[in-house]
Amino acid sequence: MTGAQISLWKRFCKSARQYWWFYFMLLPGLIYIVVFRYAPMYGITIAFKNYSVFKGFDASPWVGFDNFTKLFGRAAFQRALYNNVIIGVEKLIFGFPLPIILSLMLNEVRKNSLKRTIQTAIILPNFISWIVINGLLFAMLGTNNGAIVGVMRFFGYVGEIPNLLADKEHFRAVILLSYLWKSGGYATIIYLAAIAGIDQSLYEAAEIDGAGRLQQLWHITLSSLRPTIVMLLIMRVGEVMNAGFDQIYAISNYLVVSVADIIETYVYTLGMESRKFSEATAAGLFINVIGLTLVLITNHIAKKIDPESGLM
Amino acid sequence: MLFVSRRKRIQRSVPERVGNAVIVLILLLFAFSTTYPFWHVLMYSISDSGQAMSGGLFFLPRDPTLVSYDVLFRTKQIFIAYGNTIWKTLIGTVLSLALSALTAFPLAHRKLPGRNLLSMVFFFTMLFSGGMIPTYLVVQQLGMIDTPWALILPNVLSAYNMFIIRNYFQQLPSSLEESAFIDGATPPVVLWRIVLPISAPILAANAMFYGVGNWNSYLDCILYTNSNTLQTLQVYLRNLISSVGSMDSIAGVGGATASLSEETIKMTAISVSVIPVLVAYPFLQRYYASGITVGAVKG
Repeated sequence: MTGAQISLWKRFCKSARQYWWFYFMLLPGLIYIVVFRYAPMYGITIAFKNYSVFKGFDASPWVGFDNFTKLFGRAAFQRALYNNVIIGVEKLIFGFPLPIILSLMLNEVRKNSLKRTIQTAIILPNFISWIVINGLLFAMLGTNNGAIVGVMRFFGYVGEIPNLLADKEHFRAVILLSYLWKSGGYATIIYLAAIAGIDQSLYEAAEIDGAGRLQQLWHITLSSLRPTIVMLLIMRVGEVMNAGFDQIYAISNYLVVSVADIIETYVYTLGMESRKFSEATAAGLFINVIGLTLVLITNHIAKKIDPESGLM
Repeated sequence: MLFVSRRKRIQRSVPERVGNAVIVLILLLFAFSTTYPFWHVLMYSISDSGQAMSGGLFFLPRDPTLVSYDVLFRTKQIFIAYGNTIWKTLIGTVLSLALSALTAFPLAHRKLPGRNLLSMVFFFTMLFSGGMIPTYLVVQQLGMIDTPWALILPNVLSAYNMFIIRNYFQQLPSSLEESAFIDGATPPVVLWRIVLPISAPILAANAMFYGVGNWNSYLDCILYTNSNTLQTLQVYLRNLISSVGSMDSIAGVGGATASLSEETIKMTAISVSVIPVLVAYPFLQRYYASGITVGAVKG
């Protein structure tokens, strides 16, 4: 071997050794993802089987689409699917614009210290678990000695006050409003950062041209935000079927289950409480496939609009 | 007047000033709604139960007393639940962070053969999952049900957080790493000595993501454990709030609690589980914000 070949060989050995290290470092993460993420995907096969705890994954007999037929025939599943769509769409329609509106409003606050204080306050609920928020809802809306009841009584209201937390007619509103309350402030971090990046000379030029505040808001602030808004919207639409298990599980109760039960909470009840593993897996698979399809479609659209964006 | 700045020279008209006041008012109302409930619960918990019965707003405690805290902390379960949440948060966060950084580092190495395929393997789990029941069955097959492992391992790595770290690693100047490699350093040494020390901001942000997630999570505890010895604070709180007569179980241990209402006990339990988050909030907010902004950069 010539000297050049030797040094090449040495370099190869060195980089092979390096790569070996890299793969070795990846190993724990890969093991994790295979065991806790991909093994369950293999477990989806029980949606097409009649799973028996005694026979296990592989020995349980195949039944084709029987579980799905049974599932779609169940009134509780249809109800959960309906609720899932309604709640998911409501959260999208109201939850998406809220942080934009809040950011535009915050942007109009002149005093920086006030602006920061308000933003700090409205982001706070984002860090609180739904279980605790359930407790706060109870403290605010409870009919025995809740804050709102007390205030209404103080102002002399003697009529009946509905228990919003146990009332089918109002519970969807509770779901939506508590969701807006918790998550409304969070995305203002992104929008305000984008607004801060807008060239200030645009506003100065507009003022000289005699543009009013509203015109500036429309033509400068909002049109500068448009790419951010469009991207976040597309991503958000992809997640529309995610109606929020954490929230529903934490704040709903048996009195309102008919308007609050979503697919994921239904999967929990069917699987963990009724022990119908196969049907529950089928229900979960159904919603996950819809979710995956939506994400792929919206991601495709996002990439068409802006090749740099998108998830991957 | 000629010398004032241009911004001030343009006089705000009356409707504009009214509009501004309305905006500030609306924002203040929203800010009040997101902060007052916490204050309410804290004040209620240290108020005398009889006085608190009438409800309404609590700007100050009524007949302050700590008797409900005394009663709550005389039960054993609150310490078990608190302890479980604390070790779950500490160990879970450290493990998650270590595993995320360890995984992110090779995936950030652009020359690594198979890097794209490996990234896809992790990325796909963000799009699709086996779902609750198959995951439960896997955890069951592993014999983890009712073990402390079940509270940590099933969700120890978030692909999303890992990619945020990877994106950050990719932005670092590659010359630093390369010169270390030329000096014969191995990848783990480079990660530990060179990359991690300059990645403090993103690690802090991710520690917050994982920490808050661990503290607030409850589904793993509900799904994978049955025994009270593994109960976490969130599940303890949920059971306490949603059950009528929870008072009896607590009063049974606490003794004389005739003057203590179930509501006061519930408010106390809520306070006890939310105070640590409120104390940590200023830090959380700072690092969260930086985490989101960095995470938004695609790699």
